[in-house]
Parts: sequence; structure tokens; C-alpha cells
Amino acid sequence: MLSLFSVVFTFLALFLLIPGLFISRRLRVPFSLENIIRFFKITASKYDDERNDERGPMGEKKKRAKNRMPKHVAVILDGNRRWAEKRGLGTSDGHEAGAKRLMENAKDCFAMGTNTISLFAFSTENWERPEDEVKCLMALFEKHFKSEMPYFQRDKIRISVIGNRSKISRSLLGLIEEVEEATKSYEGKQLIIAIDYSGRFDILQACKNLAMKVKDGLIQVEDIDEKAMENELMTKCSEFPNPDLLIRTSGEQRISNFFLWQSAYTELYFPNVLWPDFGEAEYLEALTWYQQRQRRFGKRV
Amino acid sequence: MDLNQSMRLLSSWIAQIGGLGLDLLWRFIHLVVSLWYIVSGIIEAVESYAISLGLNKKYSSINIEKLRCLAVVVDIEEARDVSKVIELLQWLRTIGVKQVGLFDSQGLLKKSKDMILGTVPGSVLSEEIGEKNSSPDQNPLALEFISSSDNKEAVMKAANILLQDYLKSSRPENDKGENFFTETHLNEALRVVGENVHAPDLLLVYGPIRSHLGFPAWRLRYTEIVHMGSLNYMRYGSLLKAIHKFTGVHQNYGT
Repeated sequence: MLSLFSVVFTFLALFLLIPGLFISRRLRVPFSLENIIRFFKITASKYDDERNDERGPMGEKKKRAKNRMPKHVAVILDGNRRWAEKRGLGTSDGHEAGAKRLMENAKDCFAMGTNTISLFAFSTENWERPEDEVKCLMALFEKHFKSEMPYFQRDKIRISVIGNRSKISRSLLGLIEEVEEATKSYEGKQLIIAIDYSGRFDILQACKNLAMKVKDGLIQVEDIDEKAMENELMTKCSEFPNPDLLIRTSGEQRISNFFLWQSAYTELYFPNVLWPDFGEAEYLEALTWYQQRQRRFGKRV
Repeated sequence: MDLNQSMRLLSSWIAQIGGLGLDLLWRFIHLVVSLWYIVSGIIEAVESYAISLGLNKKYSSINIEKLRCLAVVVDIEEARDVSKVIELLQWLRTIGVKQVGLFDSQGLLKKSKDMILGTVPGSVLSEEIGEKNSSPDQNPLALEFISSSDNKEAVMKAANILLQDYLKSSRPENDKGENFFTETHLNEALRVVGENVHAPDLLLVYGPIRSHLGFPAWRLRYTEIVHMGSLNYMRYGSLLKAIHKFTGVHQNYGT
């Protein structure tokens, strides 16, 4: 038994560790566990994409169903306040930790091959929170839009902010417009940040937009259907408007008015981890869980 | 040159072997996660049998009043076995649930409505509750049958009603429809097209996928969503546990 173990271990060392070292030097990537995990997920997703690159009668939908890396991941960032409370810290510390985790996780998601990430950063209902907390959150948005701009431009990540902008301060609104304008030409990676967003509001504003188009003679009433509606939702800014995977942290099992229309066939994942603690290992587990599910988009396969 | 070519060939081989190794690592992680879910599934099964047998006193009494409306989403493949759905409804009635919405995307359960109502004792259509006392049962189980046509299609019909109202109204030139397209108006329009707008408190999903499978989006705002696994392997203890867990949930509704 001992000799068998040593043979297996030698085999693993020869064929995994040494090539790993060689590859990492060639790619100039530090040989850390973090980057190994990142690298093999990209490799696995490419291997899977090549194997599943076929089109059936369902065309694009079938390809997406078989594609085992989610193209669009939506996240409800829940648990900042509880995280702070557990550590005897203030609410603002919890949100600060959450914001830091947000950027780290977004970078990991993109590295693992996800095209679009949507983050439910601030809901319409959040305006009812204490004024200090709301001010802290708005200040955090401003701070991170400014500090992360070089990263967005370096990695060519398109930023889109969705939600009702009527209550957002002028300074934050200006920053949002600046970031969106600076990154609008980027393709392949998109970060959608939902600020003052509500799924019901999204549906209503889509209805309103359609009404305006009819009033202006741009479309006929008969042209209004589900497709027309989807083209007016706020997620129209994305190549992949419907999330494949929705993660809500902190163990709560509801979508709380996020992407109501868009999430009909979205896989829902509710880990019992507070958002500031949701790291790479947790995201890897979510991905692995997602890949083991089977989706049929309501049709018989 | 020959040495360079040999080195390039060697590095290409090593890259391929490395790729294979990484693929093996990926599959190994999947194996570990699968084993983890198998083990936790076994533990859950044992726990739910213990609950069914009444061995766990924690689940002997449930504050069912908190659960005013329960929705059940059934995968279309599993909805074909109506007997399982009937069994589930009988369990829900035993627990004390008063209102259940049954959803499958293609309306198979809607087609079996008469059979379900005829088989589940004390069950009536939810729209008949209050209109006439059609059930002699003191505690009827109100059933609502829902399908995908009650989701996006219904919202489109309701949106068209609002649109017609807006176009017919006398309004200023620069009016943006703020007073016509509100949640209250859409709720009313949905009622006009025959839809129920009440949000279920709890949604149980039976099927292989943890997704609400197209349940009416407008109604899902704050609904707790619990994935129960396959309907073929449903357990009374798991059902009791899910409902009990719901009664302990505290929502702050974003505030």
C-alpha cells in the first residue's frame, strides 16, 4: 500500500506540479493556489465549451443550457450589517468590507470566464434605512467608482448602472455618467450595478417606455409583446440580460424584488455565508453547484 | 535551431499534459462536491424521517397562521404524475395550510384541475371562497392553478390596458405617464385580466432545478423560495421542516 501511494504521489508530482511550475513561469503568473484555481477553471470552461459547441433545434438556448459556465451571474449582496455586528463593528465598517469584497469577487468572476456580473448594491427599499447609513453607502459608491476606474479601463470592463436615478445626488450621478461613458465601447466583460433598483419599477418603466413609443408613433400597439417588453427593461444594456445564476448571500432565500422578470429560469443559490465572507472558495462552490444542475427553460428535452 | 524546436515541442507536450492535469483537478473537485451533497442528502433524509415519525419535538407545533399563502412550483416532467401532487396537497391540508397556488409552466395541473379538486377532500377553487359556501368543510383548502400564461403574458395584457387608458386620457403634451404606470395601477389591471396579485409567503419548488420556473414574476417580490428536490422523493418531514423554518424567518424588507 505504501509503495502504491508513493508511486501515485510521484506520478502526480511529475505530471502536475512540474508542468504547473513551467506553465506559470511561461505565463508569468505567480504559482499560488488562488491563481491555480483561476487557471484551471478557465481551462475547464474552454474544454467544456469546445465539447459542447453544437447547435440543436433550440439553437442558442440549447447551447447556453449546455454551457457549464454561467454567462451572467447576479448577486444580492446581503449580510454586511450582520457581519459588522458579529465583530462588534459599526454598520459603515460592514459596508466598507462588503464593498472591498465586491471588487475582489468581481475580478475573480471575470477571471473565471463570466461575461456579465450584476450586483444588487442598493434597492429602492434601502432608502428607508437610517440617513447615516444611506449617506455612507452613497459615499462608498463614489469612492469606489473613482478608485476602480483605472482597473475598469485596464481590464476593459464595461460599467452599467441600472435603477431609478431621480434620487441619486448630482456628484454621484456625474461619476456614474463618466464611468459609463469611459467604458461604453468595451465588450466581453460587463459589470452591472443596480442602485435604487426594483424589479417592479423595472417592469413599470418598461411599460411606460412602450407607451411613449406608441404615443410618438414609433411602434404600434399590436407590436407590443414580451420581446418588446424585454427590450425596454433596464437589462437591455447587456448582451445576456437574463442571469444564469443568482447568488444571495447570508442564507436568506428570496430574491427581494431583484430581476423579477429576468429570473424566470435562473438558478438560485442561497449560501449561508455573509457577503463580506463570500470569497473565491465560496464562489467556486457556487459554480460547481451550478454546473451540476440541469436547466430546460420550461421545455421538454 | 534544432534545440529550440525540440524545446518548443517539449513545452507543447508539457502544456498539453498540464491541461489534462488541470482538467483532472476540476473533475476531482466536482467529485468532492457531489460526495458532499450525497452525504448531506442522506443526513437530511434521516432527519426528515425522524420528523415524520414525530421524534423531533421541535416540529410538533407550527405557527401556521403566519403562512397565509403557499405556492408550489412543479417541474413539468414531475407534474405529469398528478397522484404525487394530490398526496402533497393532502399533506399540506394535514399541516393546516389554507391556501395553495399550484404552478407548472405548461398548465398541466390546470388541465387536471377537476381531478385534483375531486380527489383532495375539502379543496375548492380559491376564487370560489367567499363567493358561495360551496364546501361543507369548515376549513377548506383553497387552490389556485397557475401557469406561464399568468406570468409575462398576463403582465403584457395588463400593460396594454394601462396603455389604452393612457392614450385615451387627456394629458399635457410633456406628460411621461407617471400617474398611469404605477404599481397600484398595474395591480388593478392584472385583476381586470383575471389574475391574482397576492404574493405567496412561501414558494416550494419541486424538481431538479432550483429556479421558480416562470412563476408570475410580479408576485414574487418578497417570497421565500425553498427548493424541495424531486416530487417523486418528497418527504413529509422535509415539508414540515421547510414550513417550520419559514415561520421563524424575519424579513426587514430592505429597510
